[in-house]
Amino acid sequence: MNTTSLEFAVVGLGILLLLAEAFIDRTNKDYLAYLGAAGLAIILVLSFLPLQGPATGSPDSAFLTSDILSVFFTRFLLVSTIVVLLMTPGYKPVLARYLPAEKEGAGVGEFTILPLFVCAGLMWMVSAIDFIMIFVALELATITLYVLSTYLRQNMASLEAGTKFLILGALSTGFFVYGITWIFGVTGTTNIVSLPQSISLLPESSTLPLLFGVALILVALSFKIGAFPFQFWVPDVYQGAPTPVTAYLSVASKAAGFVVLLRLLVALETVPVLAHKLYAVVTLLAGVTLIFGNLAAIPQTNMKRLLGYSSVAHAGYLLMGVASLGSLMAIPAIGLYFAAYLVMTLLSFVVLMVVAEATGGEEISRFNGLSQRSPLLAGAMLLAMASLAGIPFTAGFVGKFLIFEVALKQGHFGLVAIGCITVAAGFYYYFKVARAMYWQQATEETPIPVSMTIKLLIALLGAGILALGIYPGPVLAALR
Amino acid sequence: MPTLANYLLASGILFAVGLGGVMLRRSIIIIFMSLEIMLNAANLALIAFSRYGLVSGHQVFDAQILVFFIITVAAAEVAVGLAIIVSLYRARQTTHVEDLDTLKF
Repeated sequence: MNTTSLEFAVVGLGILLLLAEAFIDRTNKDYLAYLGAAGLAIILVLSFLPLQGPATGSPDSAFLTSDILSVFFTRFLLVSTIVVLLMTPGYKPVLARYLPAEKEGAGVGEFTILPLFVCAGLMWMVSAIDFIMIFVALELATITLYVLSTYLRQNMASLEAGTKFLILGALSTGFFVYGITWIFGVTGTTNIVSLPQSISLLPESSTLPLLFGVALILVALSFKIGAFPFQFWVPDVYQGAPTPVTAYLSVASKAAGFVVLLRLLVALETVPVLAHKLYAVVTLLAGVTLIFGNLAAIPQTNMKRLLGYSSVAHAGYLLMGVASLGSLMAIPAIGLYFAAYLVMTLLSFVVLMVVAEATGGEEISRFNGLSQRSPLLAGAMLLAMASLAGIPFTAGFVGKFLIFEVALKQGHFGLVAIGCITVAAGFYYYFKVARAMYWQQATEETPIPVSMTIKLLIALLGAGILALGIYPGPVLAALR
Repeated sequence: MPTLANYLLASGILFAVGLGGVMLRRSIIIIFMSLEIMLNAANLALIAFSRYGLVSGHQVFDAQILVFFIITVAAAEVAVGLAIIVSLYRARQTTHVEDLDTLKF
């Protein structure tokens, strides 16, 4: 068996579930989420078997790779998709409210199945080493995400979020394609791996058009990862999109964007004329993204918007890692940060989804007195916020610590200084949520019911935060 | 006989027109049209680069394959995009960007 068959297995699973949805006459569609999650779990287990990468010389090998980066992030994407699928049964009431009610349960099935196709697209994207492959995989994921973020088509916020996402996403596609065009025009290849070799044969005069192409691609990728200069869609789309989709956008789609950025930078690192300028640009972007994300998060009162700006801030910390790629520890540090980011962000979105459903809104004030209404949810949210802020013994702390360490080793003292200040800002806005939960009076006293699936998710993600915080070794070893 | 520079100039103008349209126009349909112009600017340049084969001296077909993919992807994007714009129009009776003001802090 081949590593590339994992992606096909995910697509096959999605098609099977679509058929099941069409032919099985049940109004309760929860079984689709459980079947999907179980199928992905099997694929996740299969990914640990000793699989063959695409054979050298086979047509696949020019487009796909199975290096440690792609293997790690394939598993990362599978885990995040499983969590998102398990979230969807809890989101049913909202779907029922904002979808035209032709029939009970209409439209719920597709909402559960579409993430599988996004997952397949992102999996291809993290394994792709050719711009053509990256482009097609990226569009498979992005176009499906347009549909998902506009899914509540009788809800103004969701429609608006989807429209903004569509316009800005298509704009970034335009930049991406034009960037590929210029890189191809100068080097005559669309393959990232053979890029350094082609560049080394070029005359000095062709650096300028090449830089133009790379800059366009950087702009387009900054859209995917939610970093400056293309971060302004993040808060709006995160606020308006359905909560499971927001969670998915902030974790999986960001990770795939970072992998493409890493592949591009690793390839261009060997070209001295470019490497210098590129690192300077990435350093600058990291600094601006950090400052923007953290400062803009401070005055927020809507929880989803707050998490949106927080995701911009985290993209800043990750870019710090990318700017320090010269260090051997940079890629393990980024991988660990992503693992930490997955557990803490998804945990906060799971709790947010339950609380928003029970209280009827997503403002931070809806969390008032949550500790009395549901100690479990309040505790889970506290753990997630502590980890996002970076308290010791949580996953977020270890992630930030390693990123700061590699940045210091590479001499990015300015960035580390900005990082320390913004971490302090982060403490303020994350603990605003904790304060609401533990020190404010609840307007209602009724306990919030929590389903078994959600309890399981909270337990697993919470355990993940603590486990990564205390013993991050295995994740680091997987990337070395 | 047009040279590579002619094609690149035309492609650059198309890209600029598209980008200008996205920035300046206020109707979502027109913005969407401008986005398609940007993709076609890339297509034109890709085919020109591929035909003239600057580096190897002969035609390189990778870029022409990419053009087919871009056309296909653009069609998929339009299908989804127009559906989204139609449902937006049904909900709000408008396709102007100024009217999208629900999400503010």
